[in-house]
Amino acid sequence: MTDRASSQAGAGRPAGLRGVPGPEAGGRGADRPTPEECLRKVALGDRDAFDHVYAAFAGPVFGLARRVLRDPAQAEEVAQEVLVEVWRTASRFNPELGSAQAWVMTMAHRRAVDRVRSEQAAEDREARLARSSAVVDYDDVVETVENRLDQQRVRNCLGGLTELQRESVTLAYYSGYTYPQVAQLLSVPLGTVKTRMRDGLARLRDCLGVGR
Amino acid sequence: MTMNAMPDVHTLTGAYVCDALAPAEREAFEEHLAQCSACSQEVAELREVTAVLGKAVALEPPARLKSAVDARVAVTRQLPPEVSGEFYDSRSGSTSESGASGGPLPEAERSAADQSNAGQSDAERSNAQVTPIGDAPSRRRRRGLAWSGWAAAAVLAGVAIGLGVHSASQQRQLNALSQQAGVVQQLLSAPDARSGRAAVRTGGTAMVLDSRSRDEAVISFTGLSAPPTGKTYQLWMIGPTGARSGGLLTVPATGNPNPVVAHGLGDAQTIGLTVEPAHGSAQPTTTPVLLLPMGS
Repeated sequence: MTDRASSQAGAGRPAGLRGVPGPEAGGRGADRPTPEECLRKVALGDRDAFDHVYAAFAGPVFGLARRVLRDPAQAEEVAQEVLVEVWRTASRFNPELGSAQAWVMTMAHRRAVDRVRSEQAAEDREARLARSSAVVDYDDVVETVENRLDQQRVRNCLGGLTELQRESVTLAYYSGYTYPQVAQLLSVPLGTVKTRMRDGLARLRDCLGVGR
Repeated sequence: MTMNAMPDVHTLTGAYVCDALAPAEREAFEEHLAQCSACSQEVAELREVTAVLGKAVALEPPARLKSAVDARVAVTRQLPPEVSGEFYDSRSGSTSESGASGGPLPEAERSAADQSNAGQSDAERSNAQVTPIGDAPSRRRRRGLAWSGWAAAAVLAGVAIGLGVHSASQQRQLNALSQQAGVVQQLLSAPDARSGRAAVRTGGTAMVLDSRSRDEAVISFTGLSAPPTGKTYQLWMIGPTGARSGGLLTVPATGNPNPVVAHGLGDAQTIGLTVEPAHGSAQPTTTPVLLLPMGS
């Protein structure tokens, strides 16, 4: 496992350099700093580092907000808030507690869900739908190749869950339902939903090979 | 509602990382998390999982998102790092709290609220006033200037023009601000606006933009480190008759203080900076680490 990971990471580098120690030898090459390194620089006010962070996360943040909120204009607003929040609170990112990706996406999901649950959002949605013809056409949204790989990986792993696990996780995470709402939709007891969400995510963790 | 007593509290980790808890329950669970390292560990692991779920639905955002974010970033003050025991601890920052703080308060106001009030004494007020930007609301009102958090960035951009310094990021900042930065324009457009810069002896650079006709100056620092423990930086307005206190310069632990505005230049020709005991001194007690000549 370790060997495979390091040979993947080292792809494109001369084999002789594989043993070079130090954080710069992470295999991404000196011109591709990790998001964690970039966030550290963002905390120091580095705008160029923020551009890297934006490039890495604007798509995921926007896509997730879009998935949860459905409404493109609201998704864009939430994405904007989250990305500015990343800039504002970069000093609070602690790499010992998790990856940059988890930090940013947690913030994005929380914001999107908070928005979807606020009454204001319901009013906004109606108002926007009423003038939806004026809203910019989002049909040309592009999915990157990298994204398709992620998608495939996630789809495979979701396929390995029980139906109840899968429904519990996706209704909560992608649709922004609370677990009592999920329980009602699936006609199962509250406790069951809670447990299935946890089991399901744990199984995904093992399948995706993350979080350890 | 105390969750600690609930036997199945651990099973909430999944619902928690999916943001599927109601607000009260979320809050109670977060209290529990603070005391349960096993739960925190599990939450951290599961967050890596949900992050991948989130990334899998990435979409190319519209191009205008970048310009909107850049414009706001240019005018948004960053939080200092969390230092335990500091007063901002309770208010903001960690991932779990940042969502909750997403109220309607505009960034600029929040940033302004961030700034601690230096609490200038009456004695200081009779001297030249050096006011951290975003501070001293009464003075703001009197001058009719809308100083706020974003003004700090605006001032930096303004000083950069004065000096002919145009790094790419400063230029971006400038572009984003050009429509809004009436405040800086006022100082920049003064016919006698001058700028100068000087190195700080202990590292970093100070820049000044000043105008005699407006009787004010903006001083900004780059690369200035925090003062030694138990000490503070103090600004001085130095003229032929000696040095007057310009007030204390608050520098975050990470260095790089916000720009400050000095009102009432009097006969001062030079701005000085010394390291002084924590509450400042009546007269400089150490050799200045900076002597920054103003335009004359």
